Amino acid sequence: MSSARLPAGLTAAVASIFLLFSTGLNAAELDPAAALSTADKQCLACHGSEGMTKELPGGAKLSLHVAAPDFAKSVHKALGCAACHSDIDPAKHPGVQREIKDRRAYSIAMTAICRQCHDGAFKQYEASKHANLQRQGKNIAPVCTDCHGSHAVTPKTAYETCVGCHAADMKSHETWLPNAALHLEVVSCAACHAPAVQRMVDLRLYDGAAKQWIVEADGTRQFETLAKSMDTDGNGLDARELRDMVRQVNDGNIAGSKILRGRIELRADVEAHQLAEKSQALRACDSCHRGGAEPFQNVTVSVVGPDGRPLRYNAHKEVLSSLLSVETLRTFYAIGGTRTELLDVLLVLALLGGLAVPIGHQMMKRIVQRREKAAAAGAPDAGSENKNT
Amino acid sequence: MERIYVHPLPVRIWHMINAAGMVLMILTGTQIRYVGLIDVLDFKAAVNWHNWIGFVLIGNYFLWLLFYLFSDKIKVYHPELSPVKHFRKSFMQMQYYGYGIFRGSPNPHQVSAYEKFNPMQSMMYQVVMMLLLPVVYFTGILLWDVTRFYGMVELLGGVRVIDTVHVLAYIFFVFFVLFHVYMGSLGHTPTAHYKAMFVTGYEEVHPQHGEETAAVKTPAA
Repeated sequence: MSSARLPAGLTAAVASIFLLFSTGLNAAELDPAAALSTADKQCLACHGSEGMTKELPGGAKLSLHVAAPDFAKSVHKALGCAACHSDIDPAKHPGVQREIKDRRAYSIAMTAICRQCHDGAFKQYEASKHANLQRQGKNIAPVCTDCHGSHAVTPKTAYETCVGCHAADMKSHETWLPNAALHLEVVSCAACHAPAVQRMVDLRLYDGAAKQWIVEADGTRQFETLAKSMDTDGNGLDARELRDMVRQVNDGNIAGSKILRGRIELRADVEAHQLAEKSQALRACDSCHRGGAEPFQNVTVSVVGPDGRPLRYNAHKEVLSSLLSVETLRTFYAIGGTRTELLDVLLVLALLGGLAVPIGHQMMKRIVQRREKAAAAGAPDAGSENKNT
Repeated sequence: MERIYVHPLPVRIWHMINAAGMVLMILTGTQIRYVGLIDVLDFKAAVNWHNWIGFVLIGNYFLWLLFYLFSDKIKVYHPELSPVKHFRKSFMQMQYYGYGIFRGSPNPHQVSAYEKFNPMQSMMYQVVMMLLLPVVYFTGILLWDVTRFYGMVELLGGVRVIDTVHVLAYIFFVFFVLFHVYMGSLGHTPTAHYKAMFVTGYEEVHPQHGEETAAVKTPAA
């Protein structure tokens, strides 16, 4: 078995990569708010106070508190407060206050602000079941902030986001879906509930010993460096390169605790917004459990990035059906969809062998009996042997 | 022609269930694995049938096991401990199937209630009954509910490892069933072994050394 080894210097760097994939805290993590802009700090001087509320018509209270550390860790930290709250004039604030009817109305109104940057996602959302319910005036229908949060916007996994409201529905899958818990773990909700999306398999590095996803340290580009060093021909990781990568991550031990866990996800995460009616969700098993099924046509390998978003690198779809996958993808297998090709060849050989035995044996019988008959014809006394079997 | 009772009723019942079950497991397993290439049965239905028939076969395996554990007939599975003797007899058996049978030579193995398998059958059935069937049943149970048996699946290397072992056993049984069906037709008539194994329990044997007897040997137990 060959192994694509890195040059000595790079090997040391790569070896250190996964030591750095850790939960170690740096200065910014200890006090993330310290990195915010002066303007944002001014806002948070008041809004960072817990219990800050605004009384709404009808007596309800709207929290105006923004947890500074959470905002500082959000994906929007670089934009700053004013990017979304440009209607606030610092010169007149807090003297002039915006009139807010209720919390729900405010959340819906703020979706226009989200749309300024996320128009693509918004268009997907507009055709969704969630948007339909919202247009029908159902308060339960989620808008942007219900799934993504308002100030602590982080790349939650779709699963966590959905489970927030649909915990009871998770259980209902058990009534019709075999191995429901396993399916919910390895298939993104939107992969079935947004039937028009394009799917793929994402193979993510997981530390089985620490029981946590491997996370790349901020600003290091370690995963990309490693993947590129393995991808010698630069066209994505093939089965052998992927095997070498897993081996490298485990310090040379292919059976190490750092493994690739596969999951069916969306090729374009933004398409997760186009959630359809429940009746349109994919229920057909053969959407995945057939050779050449659509989700298995594209494969990526990934780690969790510093901000929680996956850092992906392309792999060949053949990594799912290669014999090497028994080593590299020990925990990911979809019956029928990712079957090992070599086993198919063995099955054909078994079938041919099973048919060849009777055919070959009967042919031998004819040949032997013909020779016996010929011999008997040549020597009339020779064919008198006992016919017992 | 001598009639010897070599297949007791529990063994015949076990074998009937096993024969039908194994064929159905292969058919449903093939459907499960090759959706798109073969579309006779819906995937989910094929999985359900495969699971239920699998459990029946596992129960049936214990019928076989209990019968032999509590019967002196377990001697039919006793291995020949002398390798020289075993290979000499196996070679004779191969010679018989490869040549002698076509010329009407006598079968070197004389069937009896306690020695119903020839040396090659004995070896094959020991591997099948003691190793391959337990392996295919065990991996099948793990695959039936991967979440429930997560710890064991992980311990054994992961779901793909378990599946690969299960499929390798399936591939063997595809060959075995075809081979077994054909070998079963090589009695003194093409249906003799089938009648004995499925219906009567009696094998009809030509006595060796020309000792013809009309007596019917009945089972001791």
